[in-house]
Amino acid sequence: MAIITISRQNGSLGDEIADALASRLGTIVVSRKYALDNFFGEINPGTLDRLNESAKFFDLTLPGSDRTYADILVERIRALASESKDKDLIILGMGGSVLLSGFPGAIHVRVTASETTRLNTIAKKYRITTDEASEVLDIGDRKHRKFVRTVYGKDITSPEQFDLILNTDRLSVDECVDAIAELARKHDLRVKLSESNDSSNTIDHQTRNIAFKNETEEEFARILSLYNIEWLYEPKTFPVEWDAEGNVTMAISPDFYLPKFNLYLELTTMDQRYVTKKNKKMRLVKELYPGTNIRIVYKKDFNELVDRLKMFGGVGDNS
Amino acid sequence: MANLEEALNTERVVYSEETIQNRIKELGRQITEDYKDKELIVIGVIKGSLYFLSDLTRAIDLPIKIDMVGFSSIPDTTSKTGIVRITKDIDIDITDKHVLVVEDVIRTGLTTAYIIQNLEMKKPKDITLCSMLLNPDRLLMTIPVKYYGFEINDQWLAGYGLDRNEIGRNLPYIAQIPKQK
Repeated sequence: MAIITISRQNGSLGDEIADALASRLGTIVVSRKYALDNFFGEINPGTLDRLNESAKFFDLTLPGSDRTYADILVERIRALASESKDKDLIILGMGGSVLLSGFPGAIHVRVTASETTRLNTIAKKYRITTDEASEVLDIGDRKHRKFVRTVYGKDITSPEQFDLILNTDRLSVDECVDAIAELARKHDLRVKLSESNDSSNTIDHQTRNIAFKNETEEEFARILSLYNIEWLYEPKTFPVEWDAEGNVTMAISPDFYLPKFNLYLELTTMDQRYVTKKNKKMRLVKELYPGTNIRIVYKKDFNELVDRLKMFGGVGDNS
Repeated sequence: MANLEEALNTERVVYSEETIQNRIKELGRQITEDYKDKELIVIGVIKGSLYFLSDLTRAIDLPIKIDMVGFSSIPDTTSKTGIVRITKDIDIDITDKHVLVVEDVIRTGLTTAYIIQNLEMKKPKDITLCSMLLNPDRLLMTIPVKYYGFEINDQWLAGYGLDRNEIGRNLPYIAQIPKQK
């Protein structure tokens, strides 16, 4: 499950994207309004107005406390992120990308649009002229930047803090939600695999580019895709033998991992001389890493799979 | 014109009509027991499960609903394979229902995995599998096969729904046929 921070320019449809994404993922949007309603206990209306009005009031301390509103905000958002291990969480604005920078599993999204698009959106939303909208935009953009600069001392507009930047000039809200949801799902898989590496001393290769070793692997990947079965290529290495000094002397990097089936597949289609050795490695993986599903795809299996696919007009029987 | 056995060049009977029917009665009893007081939807995979689905559902003594799913591949000149698509989707709503998918044969489990993935998107309570034939040595995918009729090896088979180039499905028993070169 992912933690998604969404930073947006005024009028870029970032709020609409956050709401639609929350609806898709079955979660809530933690926005500034949510924070003011839930993080600071009862706030008198005057303070609430000031916190809504300007970021500088976040530097004020809470009544009867030496902690500022900014301190509490940071603490509560980090706590929410830590607690949301098994569910999705969307944080809209409030410098979420700065606050949760480097947080495992967090994805940072920035929604932008051209000034023309933003002006039109604002004008339409508030039924005002584009000149009036221009003023609203100026004030809003300034406030966003100031909030993050005041609370965290950072610049919210610098692109390197984001994993994904979306421009709604040509992308619809739905398309943006599709992109974020798919990225979140894949990223979650990768994070879970990485975490399993930490606990089992296996080695992570997920950031490598895919470079198939031979045509058979490439064709097998195509077959999996044909069946709409998601795969990762050689995502990790399992050390299976060590010397007296603890150096790895034998390891196996299964060719494919199928996240949906929690299954590693190793192809032995090129040279059958290696089959015995691979069988031994498989046995060792099962012994050393209990709960790991790993299977060999033999040359015979692969050839018959391809033959039957070629033979059958529809792929059903005998495969 | 050659009769069916001659057309298929059948080598031997692997499972006779009687053996098949006896095993189906056992499976039917087991499924009836397991799904007593539960809402069960049985989904057959076109076309191989045609006869098995027909006999199995009549051996289940429960008010089940029956549907069928079909899929096919489209050749692709850039690959030895192609793409797979659903040609007949289910019509019954399976949301929050128990689903039993009926197959004629499961070998690698790839096609079954494809079907399960598609059905899962419709949010059933659970999905289990019943296959007439299962080759456990060839099974690559971790799929929930709860019931099966018989274990098989790598032999090529026809009859009782299984075909070779669309011929042989109506053979009333399961026979071994020569491997196609």
